[in-house]
Amino acid sequence: MNTKNADAIIVGAGWAGTIMAKELTEAGLSVILLERGKEHTTAVEGAYPDSIDELRGAVRKRLFQNLAKTTVTIRNTIDQTALPYRQLAAFLPGEGVGGAGLHWSGVHFRADPNDLRLRSAMEERYGKKFIPKDMNLQDYGVTYEELEPFFDKAEKVFGTSGTAYTVKGKVMGDGNVFAPDRSSDFPLPAMKDTFSASTFRKAAKDAGYHPYSLPAANASQPYTNPYGCQMGPCNFCGYCSGYDCYLYSKASPNVNILPALRQDKRFKIIANAHVLRVDLDGSKTKATGVTYLDTTTQKETSLKADLVILSAFQFHNVHLMLLSGIGKPYDPVKNTGTIGRNFVYQTITTSRVWLPENSYTNQFVGAGGVGVAIDDFNSMNFDHGPLGFVGGSPVWVNQAGMKPIAAALGTGGHGTPRWGAGYKDALVDTYKHSLAIDAHGSNMAYRDVYLDLDPTWKDAYGLPLLRMTFTWKDNDIRMNQYVVNKIAPIARAMGATKVSLNHLEFGQPFDTRHYQTTHLGGGAIMGDNPQTSALNRYLQSWDVSNVFVIGSNAFPQGMGYNPTGTVAALAYWSAHHIRTIYLKSPGPMVQA
Amino acid sequence: MVKPDPTSTPKPRFTLPRRSVTSALLGTTAFWLTQPSTSVSRALAHEAAEAPYKPEFFTAEEYSFLTAATERLFPKDHNGPGATELGVPEFIDRQMQTPYGVGDNWYMSAPFQEGPANLGYQLPLVPRALYRRGIAALEQYVLQHYGKNFAALSAQTQDTILTALEGGSIQLHDIPGRTFFEQLRTNTLEGAFSDPLYGGNHNLGGWLMLGFPGARADFMDWVNQEGAAYPLPPVSISGQTA
Amino acid sequence: MSKRHSFSKRTVSLTALRSVGAIAVCLSGIGAALAAPSTPDAALIEKGRYIAAASDCSACHSVQGREEYTGGMAFALPFGTIHSTNITPDPEHGIGAYTEEEFSRAIRRGIRKDGSTLYPAMPYPSYARMTDEDMHALYVYFHNGIAPSAAQPPKNTIPWPLSMRWPLIFWRGIFSPSPEKARKTTQAAYDDMVLARGAYLVEGPGHCGACHSPRGLAMQEKALSTQEGDAYLSGGAAVDGYIPPSLRADDRTGLGRWSEDDIASFLATGRNQKGEAFGSMTPAIMHGTQNLSAADLHAIAHYLHHLGPSRLKEKPWVYDPRVTNELHQGRTTERGAMLYVNNCAACHRTDGAGYPDVFPPLAGNPVIMSADPASLVHIVQSGATLPAMHKAPSALTMPSFEGHLSDQEIADVVTFIRQSWGNNAPPVSRRDVEKLKKTMPPRNLSEGPIPQN
Repeated sequence: MNTKNADAIIVGAGWAGTIMAKELTEAGLSVILLERGKEHTTAVEGAYPDSIDELRGAVRKRLFQNLAKTTVTIRNTIDQTALPYRQLAAFLPGEGVGGAGLHWSGVHFRADPNDLRLRSAMEERYGKKFIPKDMNLQDYGVTYEELEPFFDKAEKVFGTSGTAYTVKGKVMGDGNVFAPDRSSDFPLPAMKDTFSASTFRKAAKDAGYHPYSLPAANASQPYTNPYGCQMGPCNFCGYCSGYDCYLYSKASPNVNILPALRQDKRFKIIANAHVLRVDLDGSKTKATGVTYLDTTTQKETSLKADLVILSAFQFHNVHLMLLSGIGKPYDPVKNTGTIGRNFVYQTITTSRVWLPENSYTNQFVGAGGVGVAIDDFNSMNFDHGPLGFVGGSPVWVNQAGMKPIAAALGTGGHGTPRWGAGYKDALVDTYKHSLAIDAHGSNMAYRDVYLDLDPTWKDAYGLPLLRMTFTWKDNDIRMNQYVVNKIAPIARAMGATKVSLNHLEFGQPFDTRHYQTTHLGGGAIMGDNPQTSALNRYLQSWDVSNVFVIGSNAFPQGMGYNPTGTVAALAYWSAHHIRTIYLKSPGPMVQA
Repeated sequence: MVKPDPTSTPKPRFTLPRRSVTSALLGTTAFWLTQPSTSVSRALAHEAAEAPYKPEFFTAEEYSFLTAATERLFPKDHNGPGATELGVPEFIDRQMQTPYGVGDNWYMSAPFQEGPANLGYQLPLVPRALYRRGIAALEQYVLQHYGKNFAALSAQTQDTILTALEGGSIQLHDIPGRTFFEQLRTNTLEGAFSDPLYGGNHNLGGWLMLGFPGARADFMDWVNQEGAAYPLPPVSISGQTA
Repeated sequence: MSKRHSFSKRTVSLTALRSVGAIAVCLSGIGAALAAPSTPDAALIEKGRYIAAASDCSACHSVQGREEYTGGMAFALPFGTIHSTNITPDPEHGIGAYTEEEFSRAIRRGIRKDGSTLYPAMPYPSYARMTDEDMHALYVYFHNGIAPSAAQPPKNTIPWPLSMRWPLIFWRGIFSPSPEKARKTTQAAYDDMVLARGAYLVEGPGHCGACHSPRGLAMQEKALSTQEGDAYLSGGAAVDGYIPPSLRADDRTGLGRWSEDDIASFLATGRNQKGEAFGSMTPAIMHGTQNLSAADLHAIAHYLHHLGPSRLKEKPWVYDPRVTNELHQGRTTERGAMLYVNNCAACHRTDGAGYPDVFPPLAGNPVIMSADPASLVHIVQSGATLPAMHKAPSALTMPSFEGHLSDQEIADVVTFIRQSWGNNAPPVSRRDVEKLKKTMPPRNLSEGPIPQN
């Protein structure tokens, strides 16, 4: 180890990777951060007004993964042949410095306390029998109380705007009554309501629900974070999701962490470095470093380090573990192994509400994280007893800035014309006078939903693609239908002239052709048992103790909330324990 | 299994086309780092004023199909201009000359194998090949059934054919009619509503129809004005107003 | 490498050794002898480093991408181009051969080792005020605190007879005070220790007047200290195409509405609630003031604050909401208003207030109301980047609008900005914009590293 290139090597320059790099350099470690994509600079690619370009941005997907290099294969069931995901559609992983953290929307939640220990909480309330046999429902192995300081830290770094309900047990204001207690208020006040959001807020309140402002990592005011990094305020331009924010007002690794990190001489970032594998020693219990391909020179380089952090996108972390031989691959038939187990998604459907013709929803006005939500049907905030399903959905109006190409492509269908004269009438009416209400729901883990290596297709580097086996299960479809049906009365109270409810149908398989969400999870989950989890509660590999795997891959099931806030908190949580425990005495932090 | 088509990975001519020195590069990052968008946009406007657009990728026959079909998909009506007036065929022709035309970010590794529709696109054809083969097969079908080219048919007949494509009842040799239709519909709507920088959305006609403000990207005063319509006309990236 | 257009503080010729050959041979022995003495204590070197920062040596004697203090910055003068010199302790190519007395004489009197006179862009009329103690620390730092480098800046290209330096002796005699006299005037004036420290830093090592004071016909600063009159720091001539504003308490065109905290924060980070650094002030902060202690920055602010206005007839600026109300209702009939809404309001807002600390306010901004519109027009044409500073790591960028807006459009929008929200500066014509295009600084991001955030 005398010849090591750095104390720590981090794979992937998104939120998780940059948080870990910041924390480890603060602890005095030298860090090399490898990113397979290129550098991204707001002042260049994100400059105003050139970046205000829907075709180049969200449509041609300039910030997203280049599938020509590597992708996944997908099938719905074990008996099918999985086929390559050839065009970006259902989910959109990022590429380049900032990762998905550069093109995300900005909804910034803390996990619900019950969601972090969902098996225990459900069993306590409804009994063991309530949980279906094939559902791999598990606890995270860490509680909300333990994570709270790290949720708090992440919000201060992200400059999150929101309204607290309670701080240190004291009721503060009009926040989410279902939200857990906080040690301090949001760093910035909530974003303003768009017209569609204020209309929803009023109707939901009148219906007896508990509306609140979405916590948004879109700055409601100018902000300087604890690292000294500055954010401009959001002006509701609507170019968040799929874009780099020209106002520096959407939190991103590029805006909120990297400016400070780049001033640290112990930190080095290498872009265009596609990591091929984590190198292990003969015992397969210790990583010696990583091997990467410089995609500009096609040169392969091996770097050595004491510590390897995987912080690539969820499924790339799992892919790297499988390619490197870290841990035992999951086998759904024998129900053994952990790598690839508990692959989860989210159950999201969008319904549409039309207001009278004198009401203009100005759907182009918006921000990725802004909106009004109710949590009355999320997590364990309602009685599942008579309903017979596990999970839930927040329901919200999240007007993120609807742009014309997306609106045009999405108009029609379900018996209405998708082109021609009638189509144009519908498009104009829908664009000017409608709004969207989402049921943004959880997705549970199942024995036969998992990740492994594909036997047929290879990436541009000759390595087998990752294979997803995924489809919708009745539990989640029931949950989605139940929650979507709650939207109709709220919509009527909003003065709707027309409502189009959209929910999953029984027997309808997962469709890879339409965008649903990029919130993939699991596959290398955290937990308290090495037989059923890949990582311990500190996100340390049970099998290779100097490898930590940070990301939504650690989620045992998909929660109703957006994952980024929890990913960031888990990164700070893991980093804190690396700093305070691991570095003093390297080795497994939990005995298996 | 569909055999890979030799024309499916054409070497695109990323040389500078005759009429515009920049259209070949539109859509690439390198372009954005080196060119102020305004000069391109103004060049396009200048060219458009001088003479009608001459396609670079599509043949004259293909282009007449494209013009006729996109106009049926997005017809001129009381809402505003149709595909032709908006420059949609020009937009699609220009797009074929960008990396998108060769499916630069699509996974195009063999084997190619058909599967259930919900598992997504599995043809070995990039957009350029889809259009080339799809239009040829469709014109062959139209000639067989109607004795004329698509463009020469009545609007009603054209609609019948497009409806059949959308519904999947026409197979264009190895291309499902529905796949071809979706490609055409997608690019048509992109052309109607993208920034005029790319050759479509002439005179911001698409945006005017929707009340979309374009590249201004500032709504601080309009976050919530109680349902009033946003009052300002659109502006393009290059500063073109309507 | 940027071209300098004026006879400014950035013009330097400390060791333009045109006939290095013979001198170098005999100096090498001295250099060796100088390297030998016992190591001076680290605290003294640190003090010297601090004074070098306060004197902003690096801004002129360093070039991006090369070792610090190796010179080479080009200054395009009407009669030729000169380059700043290598001031590392290399005995041949730098100043390693200078004795402390020679070093001090060069800095405070403008006389080179060989007895010839420095181009007065080297601000020795200000440095004349520096104390012997500071000179000693500076000398120790430049000989022991930095590595010698043999880098050679490009040769000056001033043709004979202008290349002769002897006429400069007369200039120096008339316009540069002797250190003894200069020090007396500065010291005598203040009972308040903070004020005295501020005066020393501003009038001495900081040489703020080199840019921010007007110059006379012979390019001399019209006043070198506050005792010499209200012209001192009342605003200077263009540097790199930008107009150094008044640092006095002028309400509309100076720092009349800046608090001491505003000034200190600006000097520490290049940004505050009222505005952001641009042009040559950016390197002055980056190499210089951001390295100063909070106490010294406050002393500078305290001193600047105590200067009265120079333009006594200037009516205080009062915010006028008329334009704001018009724009808020979507009314954009005024000339330039639509251009403002389409190009500027996204960051600077329809109320002209900007987003303080990030995107500067235009309402009431002294740069906007300067009689000469060069700064404003050039920022619109070229864009601007405020780079990362130690205490403010975010780089903030405004895009270049040259090529995006026509000259007429720039004239219209700039005039709109200069006459809205209570601003009252004279209009700008298309002809003005065309003329300013000739002195347009390099486009934003066209040189140097790209800010990575």
